Formats: sequence, structure tokens, C-alpha cells
Amino acid sequence: MFGLIGHLTSLDHAQSVARDLGYPEYADQDLEFWCSAPPQIVDEITVTSATGQVIEGRYVESCFLPEMLATRRFKAATRKIINAMVHAQKNGLDITALGGFSSIIFENFDLSQLKQVRNVTLNFEKFTTGNTHTAYVIARQLEQASKQLGMNLSDCTIAVCGATGDIGSAVCRWINKRLDVKELLLIARNPERLLALQDELGRGKVMTLDESLPQADIVVWVASMPKGVEIDPTTLKQPCLLIDGGYPKNLATKVKHPGIHVLNGGIVEHSLDIDWKIMGIVNMDVPARQLFACFAEAMLLEFEKWHTNFSWGRNMITVEKMDQIGEASVRHGFRPLLLETI
Amino acid sequence: MPQLEMMSALDYQSDVYKDAYSRINAIVIEGEEEAYCNYNQLAGLMPTDAVELQKLAKMEFKHKKGFEACGRNLGVTPDIPFAKEFFSSLHGNFQAAAATGNIVTCLLIQSLIIECFAIAAYNIYIPVADDFARKITEGVVKDEYLHLNYGEEWLKANFSTAREELETANKQNLPLVWKMLNQVAKDALELGMEREALIEDFMIAYGEALANIGFTTRDIMRMSAYGLAAV
Repeated sequence: MFGLIGHLTSLDHAQSVARDLGYPEYADQDLEFWCSAPPQIVDEITVTSATGQVIEGRYVESCFLPEMLATRRFKAATRKIINAMVHAQKNGLDITALGGFSSIIFENFDLSQLKQVRNVTLNFEKFTTGNTHTAYVIARQLEQASKQLGMNLSDCTIAVCGATGDIGSAVCRWINKRLDVKELLLIARNPERLLALQDELGRGKVMTLDESLPQADIVVWVASMPKGVEIDPTTLKQPCLLIDGGYPKNLATKVKHPGIHVLNGGIVEHSLDIDWKIMGIVNMDVPARQLFACFAEAMLLEFEKWHTNFSWGRNMITVEKMDQIGEASVRHGFRPLLLETI
Repeated sequence: MPQLEMMSALDYQSDVYKDAYSRINAIVIEGEEEAYCNYNQLAGLMPTDAVELQKLAKMEFKHKKGFEACGRNLGVTPDIPFAKEFFSSLHGNFQAAAATGNIVTCLLIQSLIIECFAIAAYNIYIPVADDFARKITEGVVKDEYLHLNYGEEWLKANFSTAREELETANKQNLPLVWKMLNQVAKDALELGMEREALIEDFMIAYGEALANIGFTTRDIMRMSAYGLAAV
């Protein structure tokens, strides 16, 4: 049995979902309440592979809300993630993906030191960030969506925003090893990590966001932050492919301009309907088919019986591991989301 | 993203710590004393389980002695009158249920609510306790899981007949717990225990117990948050 740990995107969203699902005790509550709310299993999932194999899963709502980070309630935020992991483990889930902010919080607050929680010893082998599959899917989206737009990658400059993160660095490695691109621009906040990445790749120009955007034919956005960033679409090239692989996804609503094509990054479509409620709740366009690639990684690990933390730690994702999860992804009927209309 | 802020070190010998400790320590001692009496009383109401219940009662008495030692170790005199008043409503409800032979209500109050509250409080306390109290509390919390388990198993076995009474008893008693928690939130914080963490741990333990007994997630979310918004 696989698990997915997720959360809602804002307090308003959480209140409306609680109301829709018929939980009045949770519907009218403020942030204070959500800071005390325990994790719950709120969805049972059945997934059928393209091979015909059927697996079962559970969705664990952690009750984390991004406002907890914005208001600096870090202890509450970390408790939500750890308690959701304990809940997953206690319910016998063999492999569970940390979705949305869960893996980011786990990494940033170094929660691996909190192994003993009450009477439970967390077994981190039963969890995955899902970042390898996310990075693989974004890399494939870059290849395929650029083709949809008639772009020739060898003439393209690609800017990776959030290049030193776990997903960003993996996408950079893929671009470096697998693709023939004109130029690779590396954007991130930490200059030391940027230099280390540049050193590892043996290429790439370190730039600021403002410098890089006007030069890029393709922007891969994999930075995660509680609040979005304003991008002035008039400064971008036309055409420009913007792959929004960050969390939460907010570039599509912010960047609306002819010639700018925004693609939701790190999203896969399954070839068969998935029996669940939760993707409708997180506002996927096609809730029975579309899902976050990190969640799909837990499903792939369950299909393949690789009950291990396939994606774990920071900057450990190799191109070979992306190949491995990518082959499983194709085998079981997942494909990267592409541009709808051009 | 910012780093987790470390809490400033606690001064176990400061006046402000000891003042708060005099009430929290008294609550723990009185809580164990009440548990001792409640299990002995339940033994009278449930003759077939009497031996096991008396065993649980004895463990609670041992816990009480342990917590008295924690107070002495810090040179604190527990404020027992405060603690008796603190437990009076819950105590009254238990006695009323016992007088009319409502075993289900008695078990919900003692084996679920009080045990879950104790488990939550002890688990939150352990990382911020002084060395002496930490060792004692670590031993106690292991026992409390056994006590919770006793109530869970009995109520699970009798779920079909107990369900309605459990829901009613939950409505009567859970709001009292939130009020009690608010009453000591400031003192608990002096000891390094945050209100929201205590509530979360209580709801986790209580929710797990309700799940084991046979309630659905929907029931649990409704029951375990009952009355929390009003306080």
C-alpha cells in the first residue's frame, strides 16, 4: 500500500474544502485551529497500471498550511509534517511521498534528526520526496513542449530558476548530459551553492533573475516559496516556454501574454482514470488523470515493489536514477503533461 | 527558508519556573490520584475485570509517587487545592456516571480522555523536563499507553452497544478538557510546553483510540474537535 502526504494551498482553501466535504468542525476555523489539528487519512485510492496491475493507496492530509510559514509558525509546520509521517507509518503504508511543501520543510528544517516521535521510531526508508520523478517529468516536458512550439533546443537558451535545489540541480544535470542546448543559465539565491553546481556541471552561467529572463527561450521555474514572484511578461522573449515546476503553481495566472506559453511543470497524466477525490480538491484540470509527479513516484515504487526512499536527501538525484524512474513511469502508463493549445 | 528557532534554555530553579511547576506538578499528582481511585471504583463496577483494573490502579499510584518525587527534587510544594478544583468538573461527571452504572461514560472519561491527555502532556513534557523528571516521565508514559489500551479494547468489544453513550459522553466531557487546558496554558508554556502542541498530541492520541474502537475518520474528526472552537 502506498501513501501520499499532502496539504491544502491556503487557509481559505482549507475552509472551503472542509465545508464541501462536510466537516463543519474544521470549516470555520482559523489558523490557530489548523496549527493544532492532527493528520487524517481522507482518501482511499485505487490505481491501475497500463500493465493491468492494480494497487491501493491512502491520502494523508497533514493539516499543514502555507500560512504557517508566512507567519513564522515553524514549529507548527514541522509538527504537521512529522505527525503526518508517523500517521502514514502507523497505518502500515509501505511507501509514502511527501507532497507540496512537505519535503521542502523536511529538508530545510533538517527533520531527519527527529527519528523518535512519541512511541514511534520513524523509518525514513518508507518515505520518498518524489523529486526524482518530478525532475524526470520536467526534463521530458522541456524536451517535448519545446518541440510542440517548434523550438530547436540547440538554438535555445534555458534559464533554470532554483537551479541549486534538489529538483533544479537534477534538471540541470539532465540538460547537461542529455541535451544539446545553446546556453544554460543558473539562477538561485545562494552564491556558494551556485558555484558548486557550476563546478559540477562544468558549464552554465550564473545570473540574477532579472538578467536571465530576457535572454531565455525556455524558463524552468523550480523555486519553491510561500509567496509567488512577479514576472513582467513584456521583458520575456517571444515565443518563450515557461515551465512552472515550483510549488505552489502560480505563474500561469500571473504571466498572461501572447507568445508566452506557461506549462504546469512536474505534472503527469495517467492513461487510465484514478479512483480518488483528492486531485479535484487541489484543482487539477483533469482530476481523474492528472497528478503531481512526486505522488506518482510513490505509485511507481509500489507498482515496482521498490519500497525504499528512492528520492532522499539533497542534490543526490543522478541522471541514471531519473532514467530508472522514467522507464517505470512509461511502463505503467504515465506521461508528462504537455501544452494544450499552441 | 529560515531555520527552526531554538527555544531558550529553561531555568528549572527560577522562581517563575517553580511557581508554574507548583500547579502543573499538582495537576499531575492529582490526576494520577484520581486515576487510582477511578480504576478501583471501576473494579467494583466490572467484577470480571476487577483484577486487571486493580493492577492498573496500582500503577497509577506508583506514578503519583514518582511525580511527588519530581516536585521534591526541584524543591517545589505542589498546589493540591488548585489541582482538586481543576479536576472537579471531570471528577463530578465520573462520579455521576459511576453512581448510575454508566461504565461506558466512566471508561471514556478515565481510559480515553484522561489517559490521552496524560500521554499528550507527558510526551510534550519529556523533551523539556529536567533530567530527574524526564526519567520518571518516560517510564510513566509507557504505562499510560497500556491503560489507554485497556479502555480501547473493552470499548471495541462492546462498540455496538457503547457507541451512542460514547458520543454523548464525548459531548459532555471534551469541552471540559479544552477549558482545563486553557486554564493551565500559561503555566505549561513556562515549562516549555506549547498549547497548540498539547492539543495536537491529544487529538492524535484520542483520534487513534477512537479509530481502534471502531469510529470512522469522519466520526473522529467530528468527535475529537468537539467544543474546541468555543473555548
